[in-house]
Amino acid sequence: MGQVDFLSTIINYTNLHIQVDQLTKQFGNFTSVDNLSFSVNAGEVYGFLGQNGAGKSTTIRMILSLIKPTHGTIKLFGKSLQDDREYILSKTGAMVEKPDLYKYLNAIDNMKIFSKYGGLSLSRDEIMNQLSVVGLESRAHDKVKKYSQGMKQRLGIAIAMVNNPDLIILDEPTNGLDPQGITDIRNLILMLSRDKKKTVVVSSHLLSEVEQIADSMLIINKGKKIVEGRVTDLLNPGKVQLEIETLNNEEAKLILRSSTWSDLLKGNSKEKLIIEVNRANIQDLTKYLVDHGVGLVGIKSVNSLEAYFLSLTSEHAV
Amino acid sequence: MQYSRITFIELYKIFRNPRTYIAFSVVALVVGLIQLGFYTDGETYLEFGLRSLTDTFDLHGKILNGYLMAYIILQTLLVNLPLLVSLVAGDMISGEASIGTLRLILTKPISRNVLIMAKFTAAGIYTLILLLWMAFWSLGISVLIFGADDMLILKSDMITQILSSDVLWRYIAAFGFAIIAMLTVASLSFFLSVFAENSIGPIMASMSIIIVFTIINTLDLPIFNHIKPYLFTSHMLGWKGFFDIRVDVNNEQIKGSIENLPGVLFSAGVLIMHIIGFLWASIWVFKRKDILS
Repeated sequence: MGQVDFLSTIINYTNLHIQVDQLTKQFGNFTSVDNLSFSVNAGEVYGFLGQNGAGKSTTIRMILSLIKPTHGTIKLFGKSLQDDREYILSKTGAMVEKPDLYKYLNAIDNMKIFSKYGGLSLSRDEIMNQLSVVGLESRAHDKVKKYSQGMKQRLGIAIAMVNNPDLIILDEPTNGLDPQGITDIRNLILMLSRDKKKTVVVSSHLLSEVEQIADSMLIINKGKKIVEGRVTDLLNPGKVQLEIETLNNEEAKLILRSSTWSDLLKGNSKEKLIIEVNRANIQDLTKYLVDHGVGLVGIKSVNSLEAYFLSLTSEHAV
Repeated sequence: MQYSRITFIELYKIFRNPRTYIAFSVVALVVGLIQLGFYTDGETYLEFGLRSLTDTFDLHGKILNGYLMAYIILQTLLVNLPLLVSLVAGDMISGEASIGTLRLILTKPISRNVLIMAKFTAAGIYTLILLLWMAFWSLGISVLIFGADDMLILKSDMITQILSSDVLWRYIAAFGFAIIAMLTVASLSFFLSVFAENSIGPIMASMSIIIVFTIINTLDLPIFNHIKPYLFTSHMLGWKGFFDIRVDVNNEQIKGSIENLPGVLFSAGVLIMHIIGFLWASIWVFKRKDILS
């Protein structure tokens, strides 16, 4: 390896934990992931967002070498997954969808088994420490068949962390959980990132979930990249979409059409008007409507990214 | 190193799973029932069966002994043992796929080749232990209950007497052959397990294949006669060959002999080739398989 290549590897390892380039997966004639490229920086929580069937799990499985790509390259820690699979996996922990684990064993024995698969031999104390991180130390001796879905998810995360990985990949970790379970997992992910300085990739089909924990995010639909960037940039654009409900929407629409706001009117229904404005102009808009005698019932701000994501979801539902 | 470590983990999982002990319990129960039946009514049963012989010959000694019991039990149980072997071997990959642990294992830094070899080794060790368990009950306990004496085997056209001093090695060889036969079943179930995402499929498919092949074996039709030598089921009862003895020119049995040793070895060879074939195919498929479960 030349000096430049060596330095490039070091820089990539330091800054980028995942580099995916033109990744494609086809199952027969169906393209599940289509020419997808993205990168994940070291130390960040990266949200991977898309509706069910968008290709999130397939992408994650390709990153973990569970599925072979049809085309494209994957690098983790600056190394090719194809060439250095075992090295990469030794620095990665993952929980892919809902694992049921070995129900006839307790949490300690499950942890022991997976630590040994990873080539480690953890002491009982080390295992108890890891279980305490996910809040399962008091149930460590119970068989997994007695666990709730949330507890299994937490044990799955503990197993993902068993080899103290630099990168943790969690595929839909809150799926099927009650609100308390979702909060627990969310706090756990934030703790892993902030306190343990791990890079965490989390997939979800809920924007609200990703925006609460992620530093960066990628939205995919039908296997293709829709948008990627910092969450703060994506969720706080200059423009915002407003849903306005009035006593008489038809009359309000006519008033807006005859004004300078006309071009910003995006659509309306019997229930509400939809208008896209700069944040700074919201006050002027409401004043204009009130001054022209429009009876306002309610104004709701819908982030444009959320609106876009919802449109994808509703399109899929139809 | 990685191979032995993972083999140990696989064995640990097999023997911590309560389902594993179904097979051991069934073997002990069935053997126990046969022994109880023969202990209470065996003499009457044998008297009835040997009536035509006792008219012609003068039979001395303890005919209903542990060696004969073991032979009866093996004849009865070895036909059903494939199901018990499939219960574990057919679950090795598909069972992990169905509960989602296969994908969790494969996110750990281990080679797929090593994993499948270790899993197959563990399934093989389970099969070996199950056969040893069966040998303990059918031979060990039978000799304890019924005692040891010369062994008399009745066949449709002949009667074979094997001296008690010539029996034990034959059982060891027969159990060795049975291990190869059951490993063939295990490797078939294991191979089918690579494709499936629940354990019922491979178990049912294994049993279906064995049943269909056995039916073909029993049909004396020219179209099937060409393929019979290549079906592994045609060779699974090769263990019986160890109880066929050669005779000399005076029609005296030759101690320590086997009537058709090449035939027995050929059967063992066919079974071993099947094991190698199924294992190779399992590795080939598993290495290329997308884990979608």
